[in-house]
Amino acid sequence: MTTVQERPDVARGGRARSRDRTTIYLLLLPSLLPVLLLSVFPLLRGIYLGFTDARAGRNVEANFTGLDNYKELLTDELFWNSFKIGLLWAFGVTVLQFVLALGLALLLNQQLRFRGVARVLAVVPWAMPPVVVGILWKLVYHPDAGLLNEFFHRIGADGLRTNWLGDFSTALPAVIIVGVWAGMPQTTVVLLAGLQGVARELHEAAAVDGASTWHRFRHVTLPAIMPVVVAITSLDFIWNFNSFGLVYVLTAGGPGGKTMLPMLFAYEEAFRYGNYGYAAALGNVMVVIIVALLAVYLRRRLREAN
Amino acid sequence: MLSTRFRRTLAAAAVAVVGIGALAACGDGGDDEATAGPVKLRFLSLAWQKESLQANKDLVAKWNSEHPDIQVEYVQGDWNSVHDQLLTSFEGGDAPDIVHYEASAIGEFSKQGYLADLKDLIPGDLKGQIDQGVWDTATFDGQVTGVPFLLESQVVIANKKLLDAAGVAVPPADGGWTWDEFQSNAQKLTKANQYGVAWALKSPTNRVLNLALNYDGKFFYDEGGRTEVKINDAEREVPKRIHDMIYTAKTASPEALAMSGADTLPGFFGGKYAMIPGSVSLRQQMVEQAPKDFEWVTLPPIKGLSSKQAANPQTLSISADSKHKEQAAQFLSYFLNPTNMAALAKGDWLVPTGKAANEELVKLTKGEQGWDVAADSAADLTVAPFQMADGYQEWKTKYATPALQQYFANKITLDQLASQLVDGGKQVLR
Amino acid sequence: MLGKPSRTGRALQYLALAGYLIFLGFPLVWLLSTAFKPPRELVQLHPSLIPSNPTLQNFVQAFTEQELGRAAWNSLQVSLASAVLTVLVAMPASYALARFKSKLGTVALGWVLLSQLFPFVLLIIPIFLVLRQAGLANSHAGLVLIYVVWALPFALWMLQGFVRNIPRELEEAASVDGAGRLQVLRRVVFPLLAPGLVATALFSFISAWNEFFFALVLIKTPELQTLPVALARFVGIEGTARLGPLAAGSLLATLPSLIFFAFMQRRLSSGSLAGAVKG
Repeated sequence: MTTVQERPDVARGGRARSRDRTTIYLLLLPSLLPVLLLSVFPLLRGIYLGFTDARAGRNVEANFTGLDNYKELLTDELFWNSFKIGLLWAFGVTVLQFVLALGLALLLNQQLRFRGVARVLAVVPWAMPPVVVGILWKLVYHPDAGLLNEFFHRIGADGLRTNWLGDFSTALPAVIIVGVWAGMPQTTVVLLAGLQGVARELHEAAAVDGASTWHRFRHVTLPAIMPVVVAITSLDFIWNFNSFGLVYVLTAGGPGGKTMLPMLFAYEEAFRYGNYGYAAALGNVMVVIIVALLAVYLRRRLREAN
Repeated sequence: MLSTRFRRTLAAAAVAVVGIGALAACGDGGDDEATAGPVKLRFLSLAWQKESLQANKDLVAKWNSEHPDIQVEYVQGDWNSVHDQLLTSFEGGDAPDIVHYEASAIGEFSKQGYLADLKDLIPGDLKGQIDQGVWDTATFDGQVTGVPFLLESQVVIANKKLLDAAGVAVPPADGGWTWDEFQSNAQKLTKANQYGVAWALKSPTNRVLNLALNYDGKFFYDEGGRTEVKINDAEREVPKRIHDMIYTAKTASPEALAMSGADTLPGFFGGKYAMIPGSVSLRQQMVEQAPKDFEWVTLPPIKGLSSKQAANPQTLSISADSKHKEQAAQFLSYFLNPTNMAALAKGDWLVPTGKAANEELVKLTKGEQGWDVAADSAADLTVAPFQMADGYQEWKTKYATPALQQYFANKITLDQLASQLVDGGKQVLR
Repeated sequence: MLGKPSRTGRALQYLALAGYLIFLGFPLVWLLSTAFKPPRELVQLHPSLIPSNPTLQNFVQAFTEQELGRAAWNSLQVSLASAVLTVLVAMPASYALARFKSKLGTVALGWVLLSQLFPFVLLIIPIFLVLRQAGLANSHAGLVLIYVVWALPFALWMLQGFVRNIPRELEEAASVDGAGRLQVLRRVVFPLLAPGLVATALFSFISAWNEFFFALVLIKTPELQTLPVALARFVGIEGTARLGPLAAGSLLATLPSLIFFAFMQRRLSSGSLAGAVKG
């Protein structure tokens, strides 16, 4: 294992490099230890399960079955359907989340009045206990007494009233909006923190050169926060792809399977039908596909950033 | 230079590591009980309404004061997460001794070997109190793994003023309407901005399969040792009638399709719906939440060839891994004696499975607030074939629910529904 | 930061901000309104914002039935410990990940992403078994450990992004001045990382404060239970809930995170950072 500094340091020789290696291990050790204990073993076990016929049960033995699960999986139409919905959901939520959060972060970074209060209000969705969030949004979308339909009723637009979660065409967009709402604060706070790292001098220099606001955003701000943007959007994408609790409370995958997210599918497979092996195989396949997607994204982005 | 720097780094790392180590050390971990002292039982209860919570806690407190050698610890769970909680603790070898859940859900756990067979643990007088048809809902592969204690029958709750205005008479507790009568009365109750009925169909599979017994619709048939789904005329009757009410007669609101029972209440209280078919437990919300001048009445279950419904009683089970099964069974037979069972049922606005408890409850409530109808409906509840079918849960989530949702949204025909249900059965049934 | 906008520009900015805040903040208003409504006002065809017969009954019920005070105290301890530990552990590691190119670092980052990707439900049971083996089941320490591990991926990914944002020249300038690596870290890097550390601490605190499942499964003793588990008990079958007490409890559960953030958010402002760079 080699440790090479990005910039060769002529003044220091090999001794410095080996000192660096010691430093890096010591710096990493505290975080690696708990991760090793609580994530490596469970994760390896989970991956392995995907190649077995493991089932829930007292004293049930699991047998290694090789690729059997994957053969079954290839023809599992229901899963692939739900996988498509999952991609739509994860892309939709991540993109909207990022665009809206960036706008909000830029606003909150301005010298506006009530900025402190606004910042606190912006994290409300994050601070609310998840158990009440699902119930709240069900009340927002309630066809008879929902806040949204009531709003349309009061402004005299009764034609816009819809059975948001029950209608086949509005169910997925409706839950995507809830997903965006729930995840925005995190993204906003991170982007806001990222904006602080943009050196003021760069802006001032650009302003002196007479660059327009948009130009400065595009060529000064954006490149400077790119590493943070890449990190948060890739994490957001993963989280969104993996989250299903909120959607489960809202629609339980309905109507007619329109909001059946793949992680919900895997959850039911494991925890409801007890097919651990098959559920783990679903997990492995999803991990491979998502990693492939992310690899393309991260390589392009990181190259742009450097 | 090097050594100071190195030492400081090391110190920082060590602090963090020791911190985590110290955390590890202060966990108590040991859950082995001392051999001396009273037996301790953990009881995971799902009571959540104010009155039933109180009834549960009172009974446990009373037991604990009378039985110093068998102490029960009351732990409150919740319906939404209990399945995950139980599965994890069963697999982790850390399950509560006594588990409150429902018949349709304990089947899987029972087949997985996590629940004790109660056949020889339950005293004869408790056995005799409960109908065999109800015991059957908690019997899997010949093992009784739960004591059914609370039943949820499907009745109809109606707005009395709207019934009177339309000239519809309230039927007696033991003489419910037939489906034809129900549908024609719904017609009388439908006018501008008012639907006769709101069918809450958020969980359409349970609703349809429960009521299908009205016409002897079994859905699951045994074909030489293999279970098959069949959709004959008997199975089509109930979904077809509901569909007709929504799209042909237009006496049932299409907006209620994605609602659960409680979601229909604002519309019901607001006069938008005249009748809501639903669980007897909805009466609680009537008492607590209906506007002051609102008059409601409980109508008996609807009748087809019979008024039979599938019973999915709440159950109490004992973990297979419990070290004190006999003591747990002793507690159960105390907890479910007629007086106590009546108190529990009253707290949850549900029907007790025990005959004596049911009689006691009618006396206690004078049959008011729909308790007469509730008590009478107990006789209609029995086991249905789908409850015993391996793979039912998977069939329900993957095939039946989406198909029924499409049918009730008028996106597929009855024939298409039938073929989707049958095909789904071929995929998952063993 | 983007220069001084015109008056219309400012007005538009305030308008946009108001739109955002209504979208993100209205639930708080709803919680407030619901928490003071008696049961009969909770099921109305045309719900009103202001309760016509406001009551404190929901708060009384919430606090007498469930030991919310004790649960909140438990949650506070666990969340603060998680936030502090996460920051302490992630800070040096993220610096190492960003500044040294090493295979170990790449593997660690990849692992961190992978651990977030794999279906969580399949990891629950093995994690539970590990904690039980380690004697950490039924203790706050076990919860803290889980929460730190849970927050680390976010912390590492975010912080290494922030470290990359710090111009290497600043560090080099400091070391030319004769400061050792650790001094550079302390004097230059950590102050510049402050906004990122705030985001990390906040993330760790809130996710621990709101975490439900592990708290439910790991903690058996009622006296040790955390707030989300206590709140879930107001929810019943098929999405029904005792809205009044639930809203009252949730309102009080929301406040600590907001207060925590209100204190921390000033650290997110550019003033402190500019000072750090120049000073």
